[in-house]
Amino acid sequence: MSERHQHYPAWHLKEAGVPDDLCPVATEQSPMLPGDWRSFRPVVDRDKCVKCAVCWLYCPVQCVEEHAAWFDFDMKTCKGCGICAHECPQRAITMIPEAQ
Amino acid sequence: MGQAYSTIAFDPAKCDGCGKCMTACASVKFDSTDTTRSLIQIVRSGGARIEPPRPGEFELALCRQCADPKCVTVCPAGALGKNGTTGVIDWDASKCVDCLLCTIGCTYAGIALDEHSGRVSKCDTCEGKPACVPACPTGALRHITTARIYNEVGSWEDLFAPGLAGCQGCNTELLMRHALRRVGPDTVLATPPGCVPGMGSVGFNGTTGTKVPVFHPLLTNTASMLAGVKRQYERVGRKVTAMAIAGDGGASDVGFQSLSGAAERGERILFMVVDNEGYMNTGMQRSSCTPYGAWTSTTPIGAHGRGKTQDAKNLPMIMVNHRCEYVATASTAYMEDLYEKLDKALAASERGFAYLHVYSPCTTGWRFQSALNIEVARKAVESNFVTLWEYTPEAGLHFTRPVDKPLPVADYLKAMGRFRHLSPEQVEHIQNKVAENLRFVRKIAEQADEQ
Repeated sequence: MSERHQHYPAWHLKEAGVPDDLCPVATEQSPMLPGDWRSFRPVVDRDKCVKCAVCWLYCPVQCVEEHAAWFDFDMKTCKGCGICAHECPQRAITMIPEAQ
Repeated sequence: MGQAYSTIAFDPAKCDGCGKCMTACASVKFDSTDTTRSLIQIVRSGGARIEPPRPGEFELALCRQCADPKCVTVCPAGALGKNGTTGVIDWDASKCVDCLLCTIGCTYAGIALDEHSGRVSKCDTCEGKPACVPACPTGALRHITTARIYNEVGSWEDLFAPGLAGCQGCNTELLMRHALRRVGPDTVLATPPGCVPGMGSVGFNGTTGTKVPVFHPLLTNTASMLAGVKRQYERVGRKVTAMAIAGDGGASDVGFQSLSGAAERGERILFMVVDNEGYMNTGMQRSSCTPYGAWTSTTPIGAHGRGKTQDAKNLPMIMVNHRCEYVATASTAYMEDLYEKLDKALAASERGFAYLHVYSPCTTGWRFQSALNIEVARKAVESNFVTLWEYTPEAGLHFTRPVDKPLPVADYLKAMGRFRHLSPEQVEHIQNKVAENLRFVRKIAEQADEQ
């Protein structure tokens, strides 16, 4: 990690030197989670996953989570687009309907 | 955070069974012409035997370097082990007792008995440079090395909120998250009207969608407002990256005047354009970056209309003519290329105006399935519809991912609903335009080579 990524004042308004009488400043993060949009969910075949991180590379919401021997997805934010399943070079990901 | 590893991918649809990968492997590993010794084996699948064999009939037997390897689990002698650094399953000849249990444990036929030596043999990926992959003439084998991006930036904080309201499979959301994480937290972000703030990067209902200061300029004044913000930071002595993520409409049409002015003055900002070839956020209207023949809601298909009647404006070449500190085109299908350009653009933005133009397929506006997003982006480059290059005033213009054997542009157009209505004449027009664009950019690149 480079030096510029170490220092992280974003949520500390005083430290960041943000005046509090200038205009309204949003300091709370949007709590919206798009996981409930999903009609298909990605399911990983843990035996087939080789941890190449291609799913992470192309996941638009960056909801990929690393485990000891495979990559999996955070269902709170996964929108079910299916890019990971289409791009996985080992075909380890299948999209299954949420209804099942 | 753990680690990701490079992998060898096999596409059966592209394999014609020529066996050149096996020849290369046997030659490199055993100095032999006997392809049965090759550690990669292409096997024709069982069933119908119609000659000549067709693509799709071949299967791969190769060690996948599994994350949870069964060969390692069954080995009674501890001769096999997963190397945590390289990801390769290493075989220790001195410990192996030749029981061959591993050859049964592996369901991928990735480890097998080598009749010549009487011992097992398996792929070791040639120390990260597999000889089989460059030998493949059809592109069925690919060595995917993007794991190194994950190993470097995977643990860095995503500087957008976890939930953004981009469409399913949105390429712009993908690009924003990668780009801002790379550029880092000491950034002020400008996002003019378009998909970027529309999906919530500037926030909803008093909340924010980014973890860095973000503001929402008008479509017309993004570059000038950001330039002012940057100058104020410089005046108070803070080193901050001023970054804009704008759409193609906000850059090439409505915001062009301020963009051109900031580039001409050499303002020290990083201006990234997400080119989804139209005003997708407001309902898919055409922009000056929309290509010829494309359906949009303002270039409809009917008794008379056959899509857009004009060709797209080549905005990145116009930026080259501003002699910016750095100009580059990129695509999310080529992430290693994109990351290199992000680094160079970030460095250049400390000296002058850095402009990055990223082609970003829009699943909603271009009419294709969300899962195919990266494939559409890849085909755009493979057909030369989009060319990837970079420019600096010192080195001139150079292609970074030249395409030697381009796909017919029809292969790219067929991937999307917005081109479904095209007549053969229109396809020919687009193919000619691709050739003309390429000639034009190549000419500039050749001039740079002569210097």
